[in-house]
Amino acid sequence: MQEIIISAKKLTRIYVHGATEVIGLSRIDLEIGLGELVVFKGNSGSGKSTLLSLLAGLDHPTSGDLVVAEHDLAKTSERGLTLFRRQVIGMVFQSFNLLPTLNVLENVCLPALLAGWPYREIVIKAREYLNWMGLEHRMTHLPAQLSGGEMQRTAIVRALINDPAIVLADEPTGNLDSQNGEAVMALLGELNHKFKRTIIVATHSRLADPYATRQIYLKDGRIIGQP
Amino acid sequence: MRPIFLFFRLLTWFSLRNMRRYRIRTLIVLLGIALGAAVFSSVRLSVKATIDSFSQSMDRVAGHSDLVLSRPAGRIAEHLISDLTVHPDVAGATALMTTYVNPVIDDAEPFLLFGLDPLLDRTFRSWQVHSPENISNANWLSLIAEPSTLFISDVLARRYGWSAGDRITLEHSRRSAVFKVAGILSPEGMALVEGGRLAITDIASFQEFAGLHGVVDRIDLVLAPAAAKLRRETVLQRLAVTLPEDVRISVPSETKETGQAMMRSYHLNLSILSFASLFVGMFLVYSLVALNAATRRHELAVLRSTGASPGLLFFLFISEGCFLGLVGWMAAFPISSFLVKYLLSGISRTVSTLFVRVHVETLRLDAWEVLVSLTVTVFISLLASLQPAWEAMRVAPKEALATARQPVAHPMTARRLAGFAVILILCAWPISRLPAVGDVPIAGYVSIICLFVGFALLSPYGLQKSGKLLSPVLRRFGGVSAYLAGRYVRDSGTRTAVSAGALITAVALFAALVIMISSFRSTVELWVQQTVSGDLFVTTRLGSINRFRDPLPPAVVDGLKGLSAPVDLVPSRRFVLTHQKYFEYELDAMALDVFVRHGRFVWVDGDPERVLPQLIAGEGVIVSEVFANRAGLSKGDVYRAQVSNTLVEWPILGIIRDYRTSGGVVFCHLPAFRERYFDPGWSGVRLFFNRKTVDTATAIPQLRSEIIDRCGNHLDMVDGNELRRIVLRIFDETFAVTTVLLLIALLIAALGITTTLAVQVLERSRQLNTLFAVGADRRQIRAMIFWEAALLVVAGETAGLICGFILSYLLIYVINVQSFGWSFIYQVNWRVLGLSLPLIVITALLAAIPAVKLVFREPPATLLRQG
Repeated sequence: MQEIIISAKKLTRIYVHGATEVIGLSRIDLEIGLGELVVFKGNSGSGKSTLLSLLAGLDHPTSGDLVVAEHDLAKTSERGLTLFRRQVIGMVFQSFNLLPTLNVLENVCLPALLAGWPYREIVIKAREYLNWMGLEHRMTHLPAQLSGGEMQRTAIVRALINDPAIVLADEPTGNLDSQNGEAVMALLGELNHKFKRTIIVATHSRLADPYATRQIYLKDGRIIGQP
Repeated sequence: MRPIFLFFRLLTWFSLRNMRRYRIRTLIVLLGIALGAAVFSSVRLSVKATIDSFSQSMDRVAGHSDLVLSRPAGRIAEHLISDLTVHPDVAGATALMTTYVNPVIDDAEPFLLFGLDPLLDRTFRSWQVHSPENISNANWLSLIAEPSTLFISDVLARRYGWSAGDRITLEHSRRSAVFKVAGILSPEGMALVEGGRLAITDIASFQEFAGLHGVVDRIDLVLAPAAAKLRRETVLQRLAVTLPEDVRISVPSETKETGQAMMRSYHLNLSILSFASLFVGMFLVYSLVALNAATRRHELAVLRSTGASPGLLFFLFISEGCFLGLVGWMAAFPISSFLVKYLLSGISRTVSTLFVRVHVETLRLDAWEVLVSLTVTVFISLLASLQPAWEAMRVAPKEALATARQPVAHPMTARRLAGFAVILILCAWPISRLPAVGDVPIAGYVSIICLFVGFALLSPYGLQKSGKLLSPVLRRFGGVSAYLAGRYVRDSGTRTAVSAGALITAVALFAALVIMISSFRSTVELWVQQTVSGDLFVTTRLGSINRFRDPLPPAVVDGLKGLSAPVDLVPSRRFVLTHQKYFEYELDAMALDVFVRHGRFVWVDGDPERVLPQLIAGEGVIVSEVFANRAGLSKGDVYRAQVSNTLVEWPILGIIRDYRTSGGVVFCHLPAFRERYFDPGWSGVRLFFNRKTVDTATAIPQLRSEIIDRCGNHLDMVDGNELRRIVLRIFDETFAVTTVLLLIALLIAALGITTTLAVQVLERSRQLNTLFAVGADRRQIRAMIFWEAALLVVAGETAGLICGFILSYLLIYVINVQSFGWSFIYQVNWRVLGLSLPLIVITALLAAIPAVKLVFREPPATLLRQG
């Protein structure tokens, strides 16, 4: 029986803007096993980014239970979530989110530095990963000097540097052309298939479909299908 | 250790590299801080240098003395020295005399001549003689061996080209005499008093020169070892038994402490004013750190999402602020080195004119002052970055997922801030009514801070309301650009208000000081015209610098009384006394019956119609407002003072304005003084032509000639108009330093506006480019930025003016009264205010140009595509 790494029960997130309430997620029940590559699909406003942000510990649920890699995120403090993000999660963003004043190597090393690893050790590891990604010749370049594909690959290496249990990717191909998008998805697929990483991708693109072990459809904050 | 390394690594990667990336705005802020820190440091260094110069001079004169004997406004008998020498409590006693003399050469300046006993003085004070020939300590004996010899300082020798063996002519109040230079003093000890502008002669030669046989200015005592261990009061009682009643025994440091006390308020007020520049610079730091926190919000969210704690982000931004403060402080050094020379010269001159004579030759970089300046600058910068750091730490990590920059809601509403602001402003006046602590108007300063902070906090609400009210008007007269600018100003919240706060502070200071200076000047002008009236002023030679210690010789008085010119004489005798509250003031016995025919007093309390006849009848005195406030006396109280060997006592009949000295003046009628106490002689006389048809241009030179013919050439004579011009020029010079400090504060405020407008543009670049995308052209968008700047500046100026008027009342009726004892007749110089305010608006609009250039720095399409 596959080990469950993510478990959500009646997970709800409601946003309050003045007198208005907006339902981001409504009573989501979900289980994700170790080593899966799950794709959340749905149009804009379906709740997939909200669900991703909760799984990443970037936000608190309004109600319900959420356990990720044995961390009960509904009950974890702000400090606990910070540690959780350092140790358990690697995030890949649609707009890459590389810090513009840091070069490629420094961007990649950042999460490990924040987690308290010695700099020398991190650099050795980072160089290995960047070599594997084909970015060894870009290590001292700033993000402004990279192409979109190179930026996203750098972001993926950054997400992996702390050997996280789960990699979360929010529209990883959203700002890329089709060729680079396919390359990035292939990379994520390889991480999942070869290295058994648990990967969760939120996207409305079809590029992720060939690599998904499961697809979950969301609409208006609810899961409407898991074919 | 690792967390510390991480922190500094992040500081370098995240903060310092960003500053390097946007170096123009960083340099502007550094310049603002450097200016503020330079002003603050330079003023403090200059103030310290003048205090130290004076204190060291006093210490060198005091030497090893334990006690000093003197007689207020008089001299003491020389024979007391021999009586004291045999007193069991006294180990040594020596006399000292001082006077200012003038070398009889062109462009000469007065210097101090000391008369002392070369034998006895060796154990009291330190001075050595150096001569180009064989150096021998026995040279000092030549002062005794040969009369009318002196040692001059190295400074004087170089200034006038004198050397050992030269004969020089010196003039004094009574006469001139030739002295032989017996040697040059080594630049140490006594030779450094008053910037090294002094000479030493034997006391007998001094007495001969000054015509003061048998009396000395003071006797210094060194106590016997046994007496030094006793309680001071016991020793004083034992000494007093052997001394005349009117001889005063004091500690040597009293003169120093009195002088320091006189300077204290002036120095404190100058330091506070210099701090204002730093305070305004604080807004610059806030603007830049807030800009960084706002424009890099997404990066902060990424940092949070990758594991950075809120505390880490908080300290990153605090460190940014501290870094700006530290580097700005270091950049202040070259500015300080230029500024300090100007300030030192101005402050020394003012102190010498108003309080005590100082000559600052060298400026030392005092480690403590450097530390104070660094600490205050960095602390101010840290305070300024607190709020942006707080906002930075509250960035939610989920914002990293957002693809578009979200508008930031400012939690504190303008209305709540306005409520707090009104409370602060209303508290300002009652707080200001609290009494001073010593001479320090602490409550006054606290009330000023309440005013500044209050008006700054009121500005978001004011901008909101004015933006709302003016929008229809702006649309009508300025078009859509002005309308949108009004709407933005209305909704911009606290961030715009900070820059408005900087401008309000600078404008309020400017307006308040313009009003204070114009009120002061117009009151001084009134006083000068009415009370410092006279066509010709005659005093003893060097009488003023020697504090009128010696009256005019009887022959001169007779000569003046016999003048054939159609003049009325108003003789006076001045005494410089020390009040028991340790401040110096003047007692002026003047022929008031003649004076009131030609001049007037400017009254504060008392009816002149009633008081003047009483005064002339010898029923009392009138005192200046300064004296009354400092002595804690009012109309009806009794004035008491020891003058020479006489106790003078008189009721106070009225209070007038007089700005002659920092300690004030007490006026009485000269004939009444003579009748009641003793004949003091005349220090000087002012002459009035008693016919209105006299042409003073020709009459005054003729009068001078007649006086020289009848009385000799040993007098100082000043044309009345010239004297009044000199007084007003001294006043203007005194406030020149203040004006420079104020202009620097305004410059820093202008830099603040530049940075704030740049902040606003960069924060809204997506919005501005959206406007472009929906049909606005570049001209309209740029016009909108200018309108925003104009609205911000007009709002800031309006609030600043209101704040400035309130502040001017505080300055005139609280700060000045508690610090210096004087107030002025409130008067607004509308011309200066009217001319300067448009200039401030223009300066601020010019400061908006860099912000306007930023609007289309990147292609609109790029910005609209990005998040």
